[in-house]
Amino acid sequence: MRAQTTIPTMEEQEEERAIELVQKVDFKKGNEMAAIAARQINYHLMGYFPITPSTEIAEEVDEMYADGEHQIRMVPADGEHGAAGICYGATLGGGRVLNATSAQGLLYAMEQLPVQSGTRFPMVLNVVTRSVSGPLDIRGDHSDIMMALNTGWIILLARDPQVVYDMNIIAVRLGEHPEVRLPVIVASDGFFTSHQKRRVRYFQEARVVQEFVGLYWTPIHALDPHKPVTIGPYMNDPDLINNKYQLKQAMDAAERVLPQIFQEYGDLSGRYYPLVEQYCMEDAEVALFILNSAAETAKDAVDKLRAEGYKVGIISPNVIRPFPAEEIRKALERVKAVLIADRADSYGAHGGNMALEVKAALKDDPQSRTLCLARVYGLGGKDFYTEDAEELLRQALQAAQTGQVEIPFDYHGANPGHPDPKLEPLQPPISRENSTLGLTKVEVDEATGRPKVRVGTPRQLTAMPKRIAPGHGACPGCGIFPTLNQFLKGIEGPVVLPFQTGCGMVVTTAYPYSAHRVTYIHNLFQNGAATLSGLVEMYRERRRRGELPIEEELTFIMISGDGGMDIGMGPVIGTALRGHPMIILEYDNQGYMNTGNQLSYATPLGHATSTSHVGPAEVGKSFQHKDTAQIMAATHIPYVFTSVEGMGTDLVRKGAKAQWYVRNGGFVYGKVLSVCPLSWRYEERLGTEVVQAAVDCCFFPIYEVERGITTINYDPEERGKRIPAAEWLKMMGKTRHLTRPEHADILAAFEAEVERRWRRLKAMHEHPLL
Amino acid sequence: MVESAKLPYTNELGFYEMRFESIGGLGANLAGQILAEAMVLGQGLNGASFSSYGSEKKGSPIKSFVRLCAADREVRTSSPVERPHLLAIFHEALTGLDGTTEGLTSESTVVVNTTRTPAEMRDILQLPSGRIGVVDALGIAVQEKTRLNTAMLGAITQAAGFIDREVVRKTIADALSQRYPSLVEPNLRTFDRGYHELVLEDFAPDGKYDWIPFTRFVPALGYANVPLGGTIINPGNTILKDLSPSRQGFVPLFHRDECIDCGKCEMTCPDYCFVWEEGVDKRGRPAMVLQGIDYQHCKGCLKCVEICPVEALTMEREEPELVRRTSIELVGPPEALVAMERSKFHLYGEPESPGYWDKIS
Repeated sequence: MRAQTTIPTMEEQEEERAIELVQKVDFKKGNEMAAIAARQINYHLMGYFPITPSTEIAEEVDEMYADGEHQIRMVPADGEHGAAGICYGATLGGGRVLNATSAQGLLYAMEQLPVQSGTRFPMVLNVVTRSVSGPLDIRGDHSDIMMALNTGWIILLARDPQVVYDMNIIAVRLGEHPEVRLPVIVASDGFFTSHQKRRVRYFQEARVVQEFVGLYWTPIHALDPHKPVTIGPYMNDPDLINNKYQLKQAMDAAERVLPQIFQEYGDLSGRYYPLVEQYCMEDAEVALFILNSAAETAKDAVDKLRAEGYKVGIISPNVIRPFPAEEIRKALERVKAVLIADRADSYGAHGGNMALEVKAALKDDPQSRTLCLARVYGLGGKDFYTEDAEELLRQALQAAQTGQVEIPFDYHGANPGHPDPKLEPLQPPISRENSTLGLTKVEVDEATGRPKVRVGTPRQLTAMPKRIAPGHGACPGCGIFPTLNQFLKGIEGPVVLPFQTGCGMVVTTAYPYSAHRVTYIHNLFQNGAATLSGLVEMYRERRRRGELPIEEELTFIMISGDGGMDIGMGPVIGTALRGHPMIILEYDNQGYMNTGNQLSYATPLGHATSTSHVGPAEVGKSFQHKDTAQIMAATHIPYVFTSVEGMGTDLVRKGAKAQWYVRNGGFVYGKVLSVCPLSWRYEERLGTEVVQAAVDCCFFPIYEVERGITTINYDPEERGKRIPAAEWLKMMGKTRHLTRPEHADILAAFEAEVERRWRRLKAMHEHPLL
Repeated sequence: MVESAKLPYTNELGFYEMRFESIGGLGANLAGQILAEAMVLGQGLNGASFSSYGSEKKGSPIKSFVRLCAADREVRTSSPVERPHLLAIFHEALTGLDGTTEGLTSESTVVVNTTRTPAEMRDILQLPSGRIGVVDALGIAVQEKTRLNTAMLGAITQAAGFIDREVVRKTIADALSQRYPSLVEPNLRTFDRGYHELVLEDFAPDGKYDWIPFTRFVPALGYANVPLGGTIINPGNTILKDLSPSRQGFVPLFHRDECIDCGKCEMTCPDYCFVWEEGVDKRGRPAMVLQGIDYQHCKGCLKCVEICPVEALTMEREEPELVRRTSIELVGPPEALVAMERSKFHLYGEPESPGYWDKIS
């Protein structure tokens, strides 16, 4: 029995500390480790926007929030630009802030990054590295993080899930250090590290981490009315250069204090990190310089070559901003040849960024005789095997042996393909004649000037050629494809189909396959509307100049998910206001389904998604769904409609009407509620019933707005088919919890909002001026 | 301290490696995670678990990997498992796909979710030798109202030989107990049945089949032969894909005699599998007439069965014979397609039957 005493002895204190410092051994992915660190740090706020492969960090943090494991305020943004803005604003408020992103997300946020560093507000951003688009690739390389080299952010690297945890904690201390005060990126490899489960250790007690990072301190914040400050003034010459010199000084300070923080963290955790990790470099004559997970893979190649008697080693920095040039020079002092392998190219620079910087570092040592080879490998997530590392080391060995670099810069792993290819179209294009069935009849009502459209029967419409071929990779029971099929049955003649990023594009165009039989375009998640408006205007201009035939009449239809309508809302509204003759068709499946069911603004109140969990501290999405159709109606475009599959030929008719408006010079927007059995969690075969219930409970009214006049096309009340919203909600796993008594308040708030919007729509239907 | 499990085989880097061939949605990734976690946290090994990733989809082929080694060894590689000691095939339809059995050796054990015998499976997989285990994981899951990945986990645990069944059971229970406590018992039952109902058979080398040496896949398309910028100039080529592995045991069956050609199935089908041709209606007037279902692209969602106003479409347990007999052939015989895939030049040239595009109109 322990003695009853209020003051513990020294021994007892030590024992307690030892217990506190216990680390749990677990089996986790990099993204999970970032989230565990976040939970223990207990950031004030996380602003985020989903993007593969970093999304899981926000998902994990949200799930832990729902379970009441931390108090991080989660703010879902409308895009990464917005997320970075949310984070910037939050840091101005004087608290700790976290964000996570990848690839396009980093680029879209990038304009915010130098502002964050230049105005000196620390925060932590996990960049889970991924290939930058063009064409889109979701797998891991370093083309994104290399773009961040000049942003003024510190960049720590995390080579495996354990290091992800450690660096996330170290990042807070480093960025907030009074001599530093810079934002910090922790970069780990997408999929290779983010999604791979490994044996890891983390502190059992969050208190240990919180003591290590200390209380947040800031000299300036925007929330003290007794100390007003001007943040972000207009600063031209001669002052800006001084601001940047301060930033440079901060980077120098970071290089100075980071070893101390590494030491302190090592004493606490037993895991000591150098600025530059060196493997078998003591006597190495040949080295491979390589970052993150690939450096780990390369160690196995070193072991193999060492067994063969070759003196080879690996150099791999744990930080690249500040760039540890001095340590790298030292490590290469006796090295005859180094191959610097970059997982990204700096096109036209004769080497990736790391190759250029290592060469620059060596130039500062006039004695250096080290030969340098630059190679680019593993782009777009191409796997990097031990054999690849061995091959690169052998190339460096050869240079060391001959004293010559035969090929200074090259790609490793690019494939020329088979020597005699014959790539030819598989099918004839769909002709204007084949896709003009003559089933559509349009009569213009003389009194209203509005078209009356009739289309054929479903049986007759089976003769319409499909613009999209079978064999696409959508989930069984996907709602997108019946939606597209029905809408396109109403569209006669040639079509151009640009897609914003989303399920619909990913599952139809996985290279080298494409399901699209008509011309298809993908640009970016958020920029389809602007892209298409440019294409439409080029079409008009080239026709006007006689470069394209007048008699061909292309119809341009941009397809977007509800996610694309969040991040792309600005360009969509701009395009609508300019009024180009084109159609935007939104398939609304109430979330970012392509990246794993994160909430979108179209997700209704209380619905469970992977970023709006259900638990003791959170019950699904916390705000009401976006009414995109009404937003678009407010741009006063000539035609707005909503529809669902299963409403007879309603969607076909609206397709035909949309085409009529476009042919008469107008811009059209349509929104279709589209099922997602995977994320809504219902039996695939019941899709049509599920959307019907959404319509019959008046959550998703079927209507059109023509030149400002609203017409409800299907009124469940008049037909005696109206059901309570709960009838719809209980059909799906994502909403069943809302029908339980403990969440009656949320159900009531949802029902009240549905009712208010429905009543308002009915009033608009009844009154031509509304 | 847990006594470390003894790995029966290891490769040159010291790993015992497993590869699970599956379809998105069957839970192979989770099965791999549970198994690896059990071995690392409960059986004193080190290891890694991960999957081949694309976008979040159900119904597409995926691979899940488990790598195990001695506790004091580091896991450094993060590349996929190419030469598995244990290969588990979660869906029998995957046995026909290129690459499923790639990298097997005489040391390998293969576990298949099937109702066939090990000898039948050996012939389908054309394995020269090795150990084959079969288990009706789907049947067990249907009876226990669980998912088949837990049954496969039981079978894999049994087949591997060095895995402590109790440690895996405990890991399953821990994984489920917090959020889904009611699922613990049925899943443990499913696991135990997979464990006990696995039928294992060893096949000695008898010269019936030869080992195909492992070579890393090199695509036929590369920088010297594709159009610039990633443009696809033969779009619509997804018709060459065989999506039948997306189905999970059931198909819609078409009964021409009952059909009224209303077109509702065509309006609701996400996979564009209803084949119509110009013909005549009951009064002899020209009209579109439904010919049948293209099972090469049908993913078995059964929405068409739900929407059919008569009894022209019914849900049936999928039997290869039934599908073969009733499918509308669009691209040519499946063997031709497999041959095209195997040749790795499958994107070149013409589809087998030139009338295809007329059929889908």
